[in-house]
Amino acid sequence: MKKIKFSSVYLVLVFIILYIPIFYLIFYSFNQGGNMNHFTGFTWAHYQELFSDKRMLVIVLDTFLIAILSSLFATMIGTFGALGIAGRKSQRTKSALLTLNNVLMVSPDVIIGASFLILFSALGIGLGFGSVLLSHIAFSIPIVVLLVLPKVNELDPALLNAAQDLGATNWQTFSRVIVPYITPGIFSGFFMAFTYSLDDFAVTFFVTGNGFTTLSVEIYSRARQGISLEINALSAVMFLFSLLLVVGYYFVNQYSHSRRQKQRRHAKNEVTLL
Amino acid sequence: MAAPIIELRGITKTYDDGFTALSNINMTIEPGKFYSLLGPSGSGKTTILRLIAGFTNATTGSILFEGQKINDLPANQRKVNTVFQNYALFPHLDVFDNVAFGLNLQKRPKAEIKKRVLDALKLVQLPGYANREISEISGGQQQRVAIARAIVNEPKVLLLDEPLSALDMKLRQDMQYELRELQQRLKITFIFVTHDQEEALAMSDEIFVVNDGKILQSGTPVDIYDEPINHFVANFIGESNILPGKMQADYQVEFVGKTFECADAGMKPNEKVEVVLRPEDLDVTTAEQGKLVVTVDTQLFRGDHFEIIGIDDDGNEWLIHSTNPVRGGKHIGLTFEPEDIHVMRFGEKEADFDARLEQYEED
Repeated sequence: MKKIKFSSVYLVLVFIILYIPIFYLIFYSFNQGGNMNHFTGFTWAHYQELFSDKRMLVIVLDTFLIAILSSLFATMIGTFGALGIAGRKSQRTKSALLTLNNVLMVSPDVIIGASFLILFSALGIGLGFGSVLLSHIAFSIPIVVLLVLPKVNELDPALLNAAQDLGATNWQTFSRVIVPYITPGIFSGFFMAFTYSLDDFAVTFFVTGNGFTTLSVEIYSRARQGISLEINALSAVMFLFSLLLVVGYYFVNQYSHSRRQKQRRHAKNEVTLL
Repeated sequence: MAAPIIELRGITKTYDDGFTALSNINMTIEPGKFYSLLGPSGSGKTTILRLIAGFTNATTGSILFEGQKINDLPANQRKVNTVFQNYALFPHLDVFDNVAFGLNLQKRPKAEIKKRVLDALKLVQLPGYANREISEISGGQQQRVAIARAIVNEPKVLLLDEPLSALDMKLRQDMQYELRELQQRLKITFIFVTHDQEEALAMSDEIFVVNDGKILQSGTPVDIYDEPINHFVANFIGESNILPGKMQADYQVEFVGKTFECADAGMKPNEKVEVVLRPEDLDVTTAEQGKLVVTVDTQLFRGDHFEIIGIDDDGNEWLIHSTNPVRGGKHIGLTFEPEDIHVMRFGEKEADFDARLEQYEED
């Protein structure tokens, strides 16, 4: 008989504990009864309610719009930031810049949110879509920098010399050698920024103002008002979506690998044809 | 002598921290020849190459390309191409696109690019590899791709920065032949940086021996091997027995307490010198017939020869290369011809050395 190792039992147990609350929530989203105490029967009613809720749909779209726009801008700014940090000659400047970047990563969202609120009101910027977008861009940049930087550091300076040697201008070296090389880092930066923006609550809560809200803030306020299983349905949909994101990210990572495999097959065919 | 294609005049290179990488480098490179920059690591040979390529700037002095000063010309406008030490192939491009990189930048017509790239790959003996990824080919093949990527642009000068150092012994020897052949076929100038003296001797028309940021000696491989200018060069190029000696008169030198006939002249009487005897010039004979008598210490079989270390009565170590092993008797005699002795003066500069050689070789 195969002996079951303690380590694998432990692993399974940890994952069960981590996932049980989510599945509990999803399970009751199909409950006919109006609460999470007794499961009385299966129904799609909460989902129908959710999809007919116009206000909720607008919030979902807004949330996604914020996530896409903020992660796009943050990816661009963060990538140039990573290139800038890596380009510093002195090691001390480099680590100082990196530390400044990391402090933003680890400082509590509440403080960042509060400071944005103070900044926006001091500058007279109205709270709403714009303020949420700006703050999401801001807190996503350090994430992008952190994910792109290792790729930039990995870049062999001889590659840049080689490009120049072959006649490339600075811009051509950038667009044809640097960017393709660090693209995997840029992709992970983008995905990470996207998920951070999508599920951010604390910062958003400070800077939404009236009339504009995102999913996480909306779920919070509805949960406070009382139990509605529509929230469960919404959570289930969002969980499904994040699953899709993870799978999508996995495939993007595999993309270059599979492309190589394809080309190898292609090359083999060519050789046999010759 | 053809008009030089590259000239370095009084080049020095000092870094911000005060480190002098090169001091007063003068070089003349003629078209169509194979040059080697030979020196230990850290000697500055790669810095010279990077100066010519345009990756770094000289502190003083001028670099001329076909008579035009190019100190301030950026690397991407110089008519030279480089083969890098670790190849520096673009990992995100396949073999074809790597080789086509320069031509694509020049926006050549598609058909021309295709033809030239495939021709270049054929030239480096990699036909049929166009669609491979860089990660899929071996080190030796990457080396060839790097060469193809450089020569496809038809540079006037090809710079090679220790391109063979990462290859195994056998492949390295094959590539030496191929590089030499390629250079003669293309008739472009090669400047080859290496720390491997065998490589430099085998391939070059001319060698520059570099150490501590200075060019110590330049000349054909035979000249440098037979007539090294000083202790460093004699030691670095090939193996040698170097002994202190005294020049008694022209063609007469004293070392290990004996006087020998030699082929060198033009020095002061009783001048202190160093004497070089190459291990392969020493012939083993019986103790009675030998000009020198040594006691065999160790004997190693090196495949194509035996390497014998003998110690003479004064305690000097002698390195001897012999095709036959020494059998019986620990005492052996060594003989050599007067021409086998090479005498080096202390602190002689290359110009003085050449002048002296010319002077007594005439009569």
